[in-house]
Amino acid sequence: MLIFNLALRNVLRNRRRSLLTILSMGGGYFLLSLSLSMSEGSYNHMIDLFTRDHTGHVQLHYQDYLQRPSLYKVIDDVDEIIGVMQSQPEVQGVAPRIYGPSLAYGKNKTFPANVVGFDPLLEPTATRLKDKVKQGVYLAEHGDADPAGVMLGVSLAKNLKLTVGDELVLISQGIDGSIANDVFDVKAIVGTAESFERMNVYMRLADMRDFLSMSDGVHELAISLQHQGQALTFSNRLQQELNERQLSVDPWQVVESSFFKSMQADKKGNYISLGIIIFIVSISVLNTVLMGTLERTREFGVLRAIGTQPSMVFSLILLESFLLSLSSCIVGLLFSIPANYWLITVGYTIPEPIDMGGIYFETMLGEMSWFTLGLPALVVIASTLIVSLFPGIRAARISPLKALQAV
Amino acid sequence: MLFRTLQLILYLVLLSASTTASSDEEAVALLKRVDELYRSSSSIATVEMQIETPHWQRSMQLKSWTVGMDDTFIRILSPKKDRGVATLKKGRDMWNYFPKINKVIKVPPSMMMGSWMGSDFTNDDLVREVSLVEEYHVEMTTHGDTYHLVLKPKRETVTVWARIEIDVLIDELIPLRQVYFDEKGRKVRTMSFSDVREFSGKRLASTMVMVPHNKEGQRTIIRYLDIEFDVDFDRSIFSLRHLQSRFR
Repeated sequence: MLIFNLALRNVLRNRRRSLLTILSMGGGYFLLSLSLSMSEGSYNHMIDLFTRDHTGHVQLHYQDYLQRPSLYKVIDDVDEIIGVMQSQPEVQGVAPRIYGPSLAYGKNKTFPANVVGFDPLLEPTATRLKDKVKQGVYLAEHGDADPAGVMLGVSLAKNLKLTVGDELVLISQGIDGSIANDVFDVKAIVGTAESFERMNVYMRLADMRDFLSMSDGVHELAISLQHQGQALTFSNRLQQELNERQLSVDPWQVVESSFFKSMQADKKGNYISLGIIIFIVSISVLNTVLMGTLERTREFGVLRAIGTQPSMVFSLILLESFLLSLSSCIVGLLFSIPANYWLITVGYTIPEPIDMGGIYFETMLGEMSWFTLGLPALVVIASTLIVSLFPGIRAARISPLKALQAV
Repeated sequence: MLFRTLQLILYLVLLSASTTASSDEEAVALLKRVDELYRSSSSIATVEMQIETPHWQRSMQLKSWTVGMDDTFIRILSPKKDRGVATLKKGRDMWNYFPKINKVIKVPPSMMMGSWMGSDFTNDDLVREVSLVEEYHVEMTTHGDTYHLVLKPKRETVTVWARIEIDVLIDELIPLRQVYFDEKGRKVRTMSFSDVREFSGKRLASTMVMVPHNKEGQRTIIRYLDIEFDVDFDRSIFSLRHLQSRFR
């Protein structure tokens, strides 16, 4: 207790020096916490943008559909599974899909097209398809029976020279081996020339089943959760529940593995620059602590001369450093909370948007968590204590005579 | 001098080839009969085709018109979904017509061995370009009550089959089984004939089952419901215009 009182008095005695030290270390805390918040926030924002584009956070398929897609690998009892999914608290939306690669005929030209059967009502709960309609109108839940309406990816429409109101002819293989062929009415053009849906054709599930002569079932269920961070745990839990149905559950990290891997590599590169910031912060802490103790060499000489134990001098210095670093963290926290809040709500708009696989990344957003606020505190306090070790040991060992002679 | 010798050798080779071919005239005659059994000089047939696979099965009814070995026209009557889909083969060319999208699609020569409408019959099987007699050498042996024909392709024949074996019932001269082998000698598919019935004076097996040996659980059954031979009909049926005509 005596040491604590002494340390407190020492800190308060030279207020200007203490304030400068606190501000300099607090600045380090602020810098680190902000850059952590920016990097974590940006990555999470990017993942969120990416997964909500078309993938969803978790996907369900029959067995190994993901590795070896086949028309016959169909999920049965779809309505029941969708119901179970929707009752889970973390699930935001479930989107069923049927895939059928086809040959598309426009005016005089043919192109391969990826035909997707989807549910116009459920799809917007999981992905942003509805917002990507560039011309025409998004498909209604039930509608025009003959010819059925479709939405066309923008590149496919351009290649086939089709616009809204034109007729699209599709030929594919039906699930019963027959040659699926039908005429469709182009209701909307979706996506941009870089986006995922540029060569896709979207039609209602019922029309798709009709086209492919399917009776029931879908190829894929895309599930969006409240937060992308829940994907791994949720998919692991779901996999155990659905094992006996021979369904496989995969988080977006598996479905979009190439995106995930490039993101991991990018994140590793970012950790290096974060390490450099941590190093700079530690150096500034070292500087202030060293200055603080070197100036007081004579003081420690007096303490030693009146019979203070070396260990006591050592712990006194460490305690002082700890008090300084703790208060600098509090000061830094006071500054970084409003700054983080601004980053989270408004964000920093990048002048030139970054294109990530067809998804435009325009604003860098921040994120506040135990990680972004706790790690800087840990770094500041730990580096202060470590750099205080040397002046502490030096002060404890110094002979009173030499110390008193020092300038 | 050298040229002369070569010419002589060539002449001898040709001569010997023709003598072996004509030595088994009975076999060739039998093969010709098998070949033309279901076609005659002209025919109109109503056929039910049933396709079974591990994933799905479906059956359809179709009607076919043929003249000689060259011209074939097939129209699907049911199911409703495929009604009106038609195939025309004229000489060496083949087209499919889809009424729903009003499009004629030419079947390229490379697709002749591809499946016809998802069945185990190839496009080539349905509209066989040239007869077996012209494309294969044949040898005949007798096993009990059947003739056993072994067909090997002639040098200039373009085919995927290295050997075809046909068993024919001696009494009625009705084929029982056709087995197709690839160049490695593996059995690729077997077509068996059953349910002999009389159609306009000809006794024929009315059911054919095609079993591909490389696809498990898969087979296609063809049942002749009705077949008329040597009938007279308008030959303009074998035209692209008729292919695209409306069909109710």
